Amino acid sequence: MATTENHGVTETTGAPEAHGSGGLPQLQFEHWAGQIVWLLLIFVVLYVVLSKMLLPKVGGAIEERADKIAGDIADARKLRDEAEVQSQAAAAELAEARGKALRTAADAKAKAQAEAAARQAKEDAALAEKLEAAEARIRASRDAAMGNVKTIASDTAQAITAKLTGKAATSAEVNAALAKLSA
Amino acid sequence: MADPMHQFQIAKVVELPPVNVPGLGLVDLSITNSVAAMLAAAVLVILFFAAAGRGAVIPGRLQTVGEMLYGLVNSLTSSIIGHEGKKYLPFVFTLFSFVLFMNMLGMFLVFTATSQLAVTLTLGVMVILTVVGVGFAKNGFKFFKLFAPSGVPPVLYVLLVPIEILSFLIRPVTLGLRLFGNMLGGHVVLKIFAGFVVAMGSLGILGWAGSALALSSVVALTALEFMVAFLQAFVFAVLTCVYLNDVVNLDSH
Repeated sequence: MATTENHGVTETTGAPEAHGSGGLPQLQFEHWAGQIVWLLLIFVVLYVVLSKMLLPKVGGAIEERADKIAGDIADARKLRDEAEVQSQAAAAELAEARGKALRTAADAKAKAQAEAAARQAKEDAALAEKLEAAEARIRASRDAAMGNVKTIASDTAQAITAKLTGKAATSAEVNAALAKLSA
Repeated sequence: MADPMHQFQIAKVVELPPVNVPGLGLVDLSITNSVAAMLAAAVLVILFFAAAGRGAVIPGRLQTVGEMLYGLVNSLTSSIIGHEGKKYLPFVFTLFSFVLFMNMLGMFLVFTATSQLAVTLTLGVMVILTVVGVGFAKNGFKFFKLFAPSGVPPVLYVLLVPIEILSFLIRPVTLGLRLFGNMLGGHVVLKIFAGFVVAMGSLGILGWAGSALALSSVVALTALEFMVAFLQAFVFAVLTCVYLNDVVNLDSH
């Protein structure tokens, strides 16, 4: 290793090069001036290059990104607001359409009900008329039948009277008797 | 055992002729391992942020990390210095990224530039000179109000002003020493424990157990050092912001 070689050399020759006065190598002041001049030179160059060329780019990129993000967020916010307005409009439209549909349905129902009721009433009237006629016919035939019963009864009464008494009763007497009975 | 201090030894990589720098005299500007580490860190910083600054709206991994570091320093400057902090972002960011990359490179390479006192002290002095410069530029001679906090009985100024001046003057030293000490200590400890692994490995069965223990310590310490490397760069940036804030918002003191 170079270290040990150098070490050995310094010990044999006793040159102060490696150790100075046994203290820090940093305190060998003969090396200071060169380092200081070089450091100042390098620092000035570095400062100029960084401040004029490189840092504006780095800072610019950061700012640009911040601007872009802020812009994008603003855009997104605007779009969201727009979408919200649109969705509200759509909801309103939907509600309106639903109301309209409900109204139409109700109207149609009412109309259908009215029609049905009218038809029912007409049907009912026709049926009632037929019923009336039928009842009248029944009443007529019953009356006729009742009339026949009277004749049959008077005939029967005449016949029975003739059989029992041997003498025929006049139809006027029988009718009077029947009227007294049915009264 | 290898000398744990040897890793900090400055060595020339590329020999260059000395240059006469005004104010400093003849300076040997040869590229040493320290200079090479600084150069590598600076180049890496540039490459990294060139790759991270592609500016894609949807960032890749590299860009995410780069923007995280940028955001970190940005939040530091704006939260500590306030609305004027943006102006000082490049300076604080350069310091932060440079120190961070030097620290991190030290975890991978053989040399850590921030473990050189010359480097960290220079950075500290640079920060304080910037603070003084900004202070004078912004406040003129009211800058000296920094050393005389308001709301104190005038008698106390006799005691307070020297203390304030002293604490201000010591800032570059503490800034530099903190970073230097952390890097130095971490790397020395790593080296010593790594040395134990080899040294105890040659002592037979019992030595192997010690070796294993030392090795696991090295692994744990390495993780710790990565954290320290980041943390010290962060602390450096935070303190720079705090010191800048003192003079930028001098009126609100």
